[in-house]
Amino acid sequence: MVIKSYLLDFFWKSIPLIFLFLFLMPLIFILLSLFGEFGDNWNHLINYVLPNYILNSIYLIIGVSLLSLVLGVGTAWCITNYDFSFKSWLEWAVILPLAVPPYILAYTFTGLFDSYGSANELIRTIFNLENNYIFFPNVRNIYGAIIVFSFTLYPYVYLTTRMALLNQSRNLIEAGKLLGLSNRSLFFKLAIPLVRPAIIAGLALVIMETLSDFGAVEHFAVQTLATGIFRTWFGMYDLNTAMQLSSMLLIFVTFFLFLERYERNKMSYSYSGSTFKKTNQIKLRGIKNFFIFLFCFLPLFVGFILPIIELTNWAIFYPSENFFSKNILISFFNTIFLGIIASIFCTFFALYINFLKRFDRGYLLKFTSQFLSLGYALPGLVLAVGIIEFFSFLDKNFLNYFLNVILIGSILGLILAYIIKSFALANNTIESGYIRLSNSLDDVSVTLRKSKLEIFFKIHIPLMKTSILTSLILVVSEIIKELPATLILRPFNFDTLAVTTYIYAAEEKMYEAASPAMLIVLIGLVPIFFLSRIIRDSRPGAK
Amino acid sequence: MKREILSVNSLSFEYTKDKEIFSNISFSLNEGEILGILGPSGIGKSSLLRLIVGLERPKTGKIFYFGSVLSSTNIFVPPNKRGIGLVVQEKVLFPHLTALENVKFGLKGSNKDKNAKALSYLKLLKAEQFASSYPNSLSGGQQQRVAIARAIAPGPDLVLLDEPFSSLDKDLREELRKESKELFKKTNTSSILVTHELDEAKEMCDKIIELNEGKVNYLTI
Repeated sequence: MVIKSYLLDFFWKSIPLIFLFLFLMPLIFILLSLFGEFGDNWNHLINYVLPNYILNSIYLIIGVSLLSLVLGVGTAWCITNYDFSFKSWLEWAVILPLAVPPYILAYTFTGLFDSYGSANELIRTIFNLENNYIFFPNVRNIYGAIIVFSFTLYPYVYLTTRMALLNQSRNLIEAGKLLGLSNRSLFFKLAIPLVRPAIIAGLALVIMETLSDFGAVEHFAVQTLATGIFRTWFGMYDLNTAMQLSSMLLIFVTFFLFLERYERNKMSYSYSGSTFKKTNQIKLRGIKNFFIFLFCFLPLFVGFILPIIELTNWAIFYPSENFFSKNILISFFNTIFLGIIASIFCTFFALYINFLKRFDRGYLLKFTSQFLSLGYALPGLVLAVGIIEFFSFLDKNFLNYFLNVILIGSILGLILAYIIKSFALANNTIESGYIRLSNSLDDVSVTLRKSKLEIFFKIHIPLMKTSILTSLILVVSEIIKELPATLILRPFNFDTLAVTTYIYAAEEKMYEAASPAMLIVLIGLVPIFFLSRIIRDSRPGAK
Repeated sequence: MKREILSVNSLSFEYTKDKEIFSNISFSLNEGEILGILGPSGIGKSSLLRLIVGLERPKTGKIFYFGSVLSSTNIFVPPNKRGIGLVVQEKVLFPHLTALENVKFGLKGSNKDKNAKALSYLKLLKAEQFASSYPNSLSGGQQQRVAIARAIAPGPDLVLLDEPFSSLDKDLREELRKESKELFKKTNTSSILVTHELDEAKEMCDKIIELNEGKVNYLTI
């Protein structure tokens, strides 16, 4: 009886380890490729394009970091310290660009700023200029890519910096003033160094997203490690070299992932605990009021309003592919179908692992849950290449041999990739829901002769309804945006909204790309709603 | 002569290897008796209750319940199989259930029987008027009445009370203490009350032990 109970306990606890195994296998296959043979294609890459990939990736990182730093820290500082027109609206509105994936902003930018794009047409019409006059320069280059990434990803820096600034006590700033620091010195010598870990954590997220992106850099013809992986696999059909390139990208991303984790752990030193005093806001008037408003509004305009106007214009006034066309509807249902399956799995797995953690004080489950949550940082392309190799190993050695089943090209790879990438979202939501449930509820329930399963279904599930729903919605809205892994892993002729948008944009059919892109942005607004609520609730002393 | 219901023999407990809470504690409890456990904060009173109810495992020693081993170094009966009730200091009514549903939660049988039994226990604790109320609309005292009704409704032979009245005001505390004692005596339910107030223990308990520096002292009432 006791042995049976231990075996059962071991069985339940081993399920997360199976998922950990599935999570690790694609990465292990990718890293193992570094110890294998380097073929002719690798030599070709080294001699001709790899230095370019690396240099472009580095230039991109530097440019995006600098611009995101100015936009993210600047808006966070202004909104925290100044009272100006429309501030309470801008406080949450500046995160709206997060709803626009970089590849969609890239498509709208080319539609707007190409020689015959809307912006140049508008200038020519207003100033009655000749047909071949070009006012806005070409954006299909690394500078355009830097602008696109910065204006869609700066909210990460804004969010982490704003949280840290909100928690910065007025006492510290007052102490600086008493020591004779000017406003400029207060900003650079006191306020910014205090929130430096938060800024670096936000920047690390921006860099990871930039390195992982495929759609925007491909559209702007900027050769990076990500486009290199895609071309090596899709152009040369050389999976081994694609994996070796993926290893390099993985090492890059891992560095920034650890930097983000490390700095996030240090973030607490800017908080001042019980002596906290809310920062006094300076009321601005006149020209200062206007410029600060303009500074905070500009990134919102470029990163969200402008693409929305352009997409609406294309979708409504050039409806060659409207929202209800068969093609878009099929893509929409495919996307929702995949999103729902992956979100249900992520949410219930997060519920399962957090439920086990509640009754188990060991480190193994805690470690497993934390490790699985790192999946969000994995570039979709790297994950896809790893899954293909892992599935092909399984197909060759087991499944096709014993069961006559083939995993490659099936929907399973795509779902596995989505689950690995989105588990962190579900886990964070469910974990914070569980933290709010007192452990005494469980203690009392067991003394009322309830089994753990009864406690789960009769107490936890009803009390966690909001967290479960939030997790489901967040994961679906995240999956809808995913492009690179979907592009590689989707079954033949199985398109999602992101893939449909990509294909149209790649064929320069911008009007057709507008409707699916609009749907992606609209669904992407859902997590922004939750984020804006978190921002409001995060203020110390906020009701 | 009343039979022995609970016996704690040479019990030791630690949360981590280098942090022993208490060691070598022994005491017993007879049927229908109320035992008070006194002691300063952090001495391990609540941990002792958690060991008896099965929420923790002892380092060494044994706990017997009606002569059978509940916990030892190699035997452990899970808490949901022990049939021991628990009322804690925190207000831990299930917030998504009404007062009546909270009391019904631990009962078995048909819905009609469970309703009738739950309502009778709410009546015994003068809480039947808010049977259909949700916990967030009840005062602290009303919530504790429901919590006590919930603990004794399944008919446990032993109920553990972990400072259940400490968050209530003085008058309400005395009233609820008196009513609870009457209820335990009427239903012949044994109980252990953890408290740090000697007066409370004297008023409610048949015998009192004091935990101090890991030792048990019996106090005379």
